[in-house]
Order: sequence, then structure tokens, then C-alpha cells
Amino acid sequence: MKIQSQVSMVFHLDKCIGCHTCTVACKNIWTDRKGAEYMYWNNVETKPGTGYPTRWEDQGKYRGGWVLGGKKGRLRLRLQGKWGTLGNIFYNPYLPTLDDYFEPWTYDYQNLFDAPEGDDQPTARAISMVTGRYMDTIEAGPNWDDDLGGSQVYANNDPNLDHATEEERRLMEEIGRVVFFYLPRICNHCLNPGCVAACPAGAIYKRGEDGIVLVSQERCRAWRMCISGCPYKKTYFNWSTGKAEKCILCYPRLESGQPPACFHSCVGRIRYVGLVLYDADRIEAAASAPQAELVQAQRDAILDPFDPKVIAAAQAAGIPDAKIDAAQKSPVYKFVKRWHLALPLHPEFRTLPMLFYVPPMGPVLAKMDNGKYDTMDAKAEGLAPMLSALEKSRVPLRYMASLFSAGNEEIIRKVYRKLVAVRVYMRAQRVKDIPEAEVQKALAEGGTDAREVEAIFRLTSLPTFEERFVVPAMERETAVEALFPPLDPIARNYPTHKGEVGIGFHHDPQRGM
Amino acid sequence: MTNGGVWRLLRIAALATIACAWVASPATAKAAGADAEAGKQIFQEKCTACHTIGKGNLVGPDLKGVTALRPREWLQQWIAAPDRMLAAKDPVGIALLHEFHDVPMPNLGLSAAEANALIDYLATAVPGAAVPPAEAVSAPAPATSAPAASGDPEVGKELFTGAARFRNGGPPCMACHSVGGIGALGGGQLGPDLTTVVTRFGGAAATAAFVGGSPTPTMNAVWQRTPLTADERANVVAFLAQAAISERPTQAIWRLLGLAILGLAILLVAAGWIWRRRQPDGVRLPMLARQRNTARGQPATAPRRT
Repeated sequence: MKIQSQVSMVFHLDKCIGCHTCTVACKNIWTDRKGAEYMYWNNVETKPGTGYPTRWEDQGKYRGGWVLGGKKGRLRLRLQGKWGTLGNIFYNPYLPTLDDYFEPWTYDYQNLFDAPEGDDQPTARAISMVTGRYMDTIEAGPNWDDDLGGSQVYANNDPNLDHATEEERRLMEEIGRVVFFYLPRICNHCLNPGCVAACPAGAIYKRGEDGIVLVSQERCRAWRMCISGCPYKKTYFNWSTGKAEKCILCYPRLESGQPPACFHSCVGRIRYVGLVLYDADRIEAAASAPQAELVQAQRDAILDPFDPKVIAAAQAAGIPDAKIDAAQKSPVYKFVKRWHLALPLHPEFRTLPMLFYVPPMGPVLAKMDNGKYDTMDAKAEGLAPMLSALEKSRVPLRYMASLFSAGNEEIIRKVYRKLVAVRVYMRAQRVKDIPEAEVQKALAEGGTDAREVEAIFRLTSLPTFEERFVVPAMERETAVEALFPPLDPIARNYPTHKGEVGIGFHHDPQRGM
Repeated sequence: MTNGGVWRLLRIAALATIACAWVASPATAKAAGADAEAGKQIFQEKCTACHTIGKGNLVGPDLKGVTALRPREWLQQWIAAPDRMLAAKDPVGIALLHEFHDVPMPNLGLSAAEANALIDYLATAVPGAAVPPAEAVSAPAPATSAPAASGDPEVGKELFTGAARFRNGGPPCMACHSVGGIGALGGGQLGPDLTTVVTRFGGAAATAAFVGGSPTPTMNAVWQRTPLTADERANVVAFLAQAAISERPTQAIWRLLGLAILGLAILLVAAGWIWRRRQPDGVRLPMLARQRNTARGQPATAPRRT
């Protein structure tokens, strides 16, 4: 057992209102720079939709993540092996084009002031921020299909619908049943990152003490294999500095005890951050599990921070007590491991993403029956008066399974039954219009009990700031000293000491070596 | 500016000061003093490739009586830096250049003191004394004795192209020079093309003297330690003197162009096949085109962006 700690995340999709405040917070702090205009380290996608960049989930095109089937059936990158890397090193064929992101633009506002007097109102034409030329038509943007805009094209081409039946597709397009939800995405800071494995320069690394995946701006050589290797397309290429960049989980904020900016600014309070302890020896086995068992294998790699054996092993591995304490208070541990409510996004990419999602309840499906509003098939399952049967959900379970459980619908069904149990129980408590027998039935089907349901309710609806964001002292100085002892005469050359490191670069990143 | 930059500048300035002091020191000037013996030595080492005293013109003019012909100041400047005088359009220099086949005299890097010594020697030299004794220099005897006519052009070609080695281990001429008659691909581009060199230098004898003396800095650097033997020199010059090589076959250029185009085509086809999966249009545009075509009831093929 090799215990390590990881800053891990949960997004509760039922609470996301799609306001993009997280995106704006991130953009203003990190990517409001030349060359980074098109980067969205955090973005919010509408599902069903093609996402950003277009159809990023389609690994037939982009070749991200891992597949089983190397020598002896072991994991190998879907992108290419060592020889493929060498052959394609100057010409990576599996990249999104600028059009698959969008061409960033600004407006010629000065024209509003400088335009000569004339018959027409002066306009501020769009100017490309890449070429500096006027753009007559803007064909794409970072959120082009927001709220199902252009859904005939974009929603229909959602890769998660590739396996949907004609009937399911027809129902999802039916005007009275149209449904969508939001999927906020940041870097997953995976346990088995494809970007790290794909980098020929060894410039990407996963920080040992907190699992944050970072790109060294000094070692990056612009091969752009990470962009293909990451199945979530969360590394981006800065065309100005010629270096790859990605979400850094606001580590300067974490190191000073604050949650990342997108977490802090979240209006719907959907985001949770906390430490989990995991067994690094189990990563390979978890990533090579059969597809249907991937979610459970990943849960198994996460360890119980209350287990005395785990605590002893963690202490032996040099994990500070403050971190073990934080792991015990972690909301992520509760959602992922204790309650089995939060699921990784696209576990079939086999990168073991450490950002988990509580899937959203689809809106209820109802009809007017004798002048009464009746949720469909609710009575049959004892879910009246506010929930329709799962199988009648507007978002097919198969779609959710394609997103969050590598196609295993049973896992999704269990999550929903528990979420339903929470709603039924709490309604019985507050509104008191559900008979006790039905409450008990819902609890039994959800595989839960009153105490757990109340804990879930509390952390979902009424969590305090400190409950949502459990950021321990990161003790960066300890981690640095492990590599560069402060009294080591050689290490004195490294600017890695307390008081010497800060936010930003010792010198700006620039093209070339 | 960073600290490193300042230090580097200081260091360069210090070095420059020391160098100036050394050059200007009277001791150096005195050591090189106006001594005809030293001048003779310099003449034999650096001048005999192109000049004789009283034995006729080679690449450059016969220098017999030159001190009477030109003022001493002009000679000093010319010997020290002929390239600078030509650049300054010195009328006498330009006239000489045109008279002697437009082959400019190279800057031999002689100091003012050395030039003075040389002029002293030229003023006192006995005609014919310029011919150095055989053991005096490692470089072979000058042009007057060069048996240009006796060389074998076939052997010369082999030596030129490197098919046969020079005895002292020098590089083949082709490494730096191109010439007609060695195939369409020619030779190196570092030195000038030698196709008409014999005509330009005014005959085989002058060319042989030039090759033997290696007066240009580059030639000198390459050949000083590995001089050609007299036979080799004769063979190479005989090859260069052949009338046949003075004309280049024009179809060779076209053959070369054809080869280049064929090679390019093969490379492009190979690259197109190896990287056939790369999508110049990306993902979104073909997706839109597919959707548009499906809506019109046309086959779902994506037109390429123009």
C-alpha cells in the first residue's frame, strides 16, 4: 500500500444553474492574456451538446485517454506509442483546429468615436484577436450551443447519443419533452493522466503531495501531444508563448488556504473540494478494470481515512496529520465513497478522473389527468406526488450512463434511487403529504436509511463554506524540502525555498528552448 | 540589463584595451623592423603564389622594379589591405584589377611593419631571387617550374573529386569547389566555381602557382599543413585546363530539376499517406456540412473548406 493524498472535487449538477460565473472568475484570473484568449480552463457545457472543443468526447477523432490492448492486454495510450510519437512529433494529426475551439475576437470600439459623419450609424466590427483582421461572420464561440442553441446540429451530434435508439432520440427532440442540463468542466487532475503520459518532453507532472497536474513552462517544447492525449481536451496550446497550459486548480490559492476561484465564486454552490487518500499501488489495476467495473474500481482505490490501518500507513508515508484530518472531513469522500452518489466523468477514458459529478435528476414528466397535474407512473413506484418513474425520465438513463458510468446503467439507477429517497423522505418530513409506507419503500429502494438521507440533505442543501471547502494547510515547504533540503549546498541553487517562491514566473515563458 | 550582461561588456572592454596596448607597443614594431631579410622571408611565404621578380607575370604582375614605379605610401597601403583600397575605388588598383583578369589580390593580413620589410626587400631584390630553394618552404616550388603540360587530366579529375587521395592527406578540391565535367550535381559551394579558372588566371602556369601557394586565407588554412606534391598539382591543373570542362552540359540542369521534382512528389505522397488522418477542416465544419446535406436529403459527405 502506497498512500498518497489528492485534492479532489465534486460538482453537484442538480444545483448548477448554468450562469458561467465560474468561467468568468477563471478567465479573469488566469487566461485573460495574449495567446490564452481561447482557453477555458473552466467551462460550462449544455448537455446534450457537442461541448468545447466540438465533440471532445469523440476519441475516434481526437485519440485521447487509454485503451486496454497493449502487450498482454495492458493499458496503452489510444494516441500512439513511442514510435508513433517520434513519427508524428513535428506534425501531430489528432488536434482540434482553431475552428473546433473558436477564433477569439474583440470589437473595433474606437470606430464608434472616430467614424466620420455619415448617414449610417457607426458600428464596432468584430476583429480577430489572432490575426487582427476584421471578421465578417462569427461562426463559433466558446459556448455556441448554450441552452440548446442550434440544437438541430449541436445537440444531435452529442457523442453520448451515438448509442441512443431512434425512439430515444425522437423523444428527446419532442418539443414538449425537450430537456437539457449543464456540465461544468475543469481539469480532472486524474490519477492516471493521459496528458502526462503523452508528453515527449516530460514537461507535465502530477504534484506528489496534492495530485495537481501541472505543465512546466520551462520544459514544454510545444509538441502538443498532451492536447491529444487528454481525453477531456483540458490542455490548451498558447500560440503566443508556444507552451501548453492547463487548469492549475488555483494552487496558489489552495496553498494559502482558499478554494480555487471557480469553486469560491460558484453561485449555485455546486462545488465541493476536499482531500482524499488513495492507494497509488492500485492505480494500474483500477485503470485496467473491465469497463462496467471501472467506477467501482476507482472507488476501491480511494481509502477510508477513518480506518486505523490507513491512518497508520498514511503517517508512515509522511502525510501530515492535518491532511489526514482534512481527509476525514472531506465532502468529496462522503459523496464518492460513503454515499456512492458522485461519479467520474467518462470513466471509460481510463484516466481515473478525480473530479466527480452527482448526476442531475431529470425534470418530471407529467400530464394533466382529469384536470389534475399527474406525474407519470409515479403512483406505481410510490413516488407521488413529485417524482416520475426513473424509466420515464426525460433524460434516458442510457445517456447518463454514457456520461458517468461507462455505460453501466445499474450504477446510475442506484444513484437515482438514493437521490429519490432523499427527496421523498425530506418531503415527508417537511410537507408531510407522503404516507410513511411509501417513505420506507423509497428508503429501501435507495439502499439507505433516515440518518444517511439527512446527512446527504444537509451537505447538499445547507452546507457552510467550511463544509464545502475543506482545504488543509498544504505544507508546500515540507514537500519542497523532500526534494531540495534547505541546507544542501547544491539545492541552494534552486529557488524553491519559502520566501523565494511566489506566484508567477521567475521569467516569462517564451518560445523555444 | 542583467548582471551577466554588464560583466560580459566589462570583460570585452578589458580584453580590447590589452589588445590595443600590445599592438601599439614600440617593441613589436621594432622587432618586425625594416629588414630586407625578413621581407624576403615574407615574400617567399606569401607572395610567390602569384608574383615573381623578373620572371614574368603569373596571376599577378611581375614585381621587378615596382618600388620605382609606385610611391612607397601607396605600396604600404596596398600590401597591407588591397581589399580596402579596391573598395575605396583606388584608380591604380582598379586598373591593375582589370589588367589581371579581374582576380583581386587577397588581404594577406600583413602588419604595417611587415609591409615595410617587404617593400625594402622588393627595392633590393635581385631578379630571380624570389625563387625559394626547395628546402626553404614546405610548399612546392613556384609556377615557373610547374610542369602544367605534363599533368594527367584523368588523374587530376580523380584527385579533384576525391576518388584518389592527396598524398599529404588534404581534402579533395570538390569539398569546396564546383567545376564542369564532374557530373550534374557539381561540388561544394564554399569556394568559387573553377570551371574557367585557367582562363581567368591567364594560363596553366599561373593557376599552378596559385594552387601551390594557397594565398587566400581559406586556402592557406586548409593547405598549409597538407600541401600538394608537384605531381598532384600538375595533374589537378591539367584537369582544370581541359577544354572539355569549360562547358557545362545544359541538360544536366533539367535532369537535376526533374530529380528534385520527383523527390518532392514522392515525399509529398508519403507524407500525405502517413498523416492521412489529420483533419484540416477539424470536426465542427464537416459536422455542419453533414447536417446541412442530411437536411437537403443529399448524401452525407463533407465538402472541404476552400
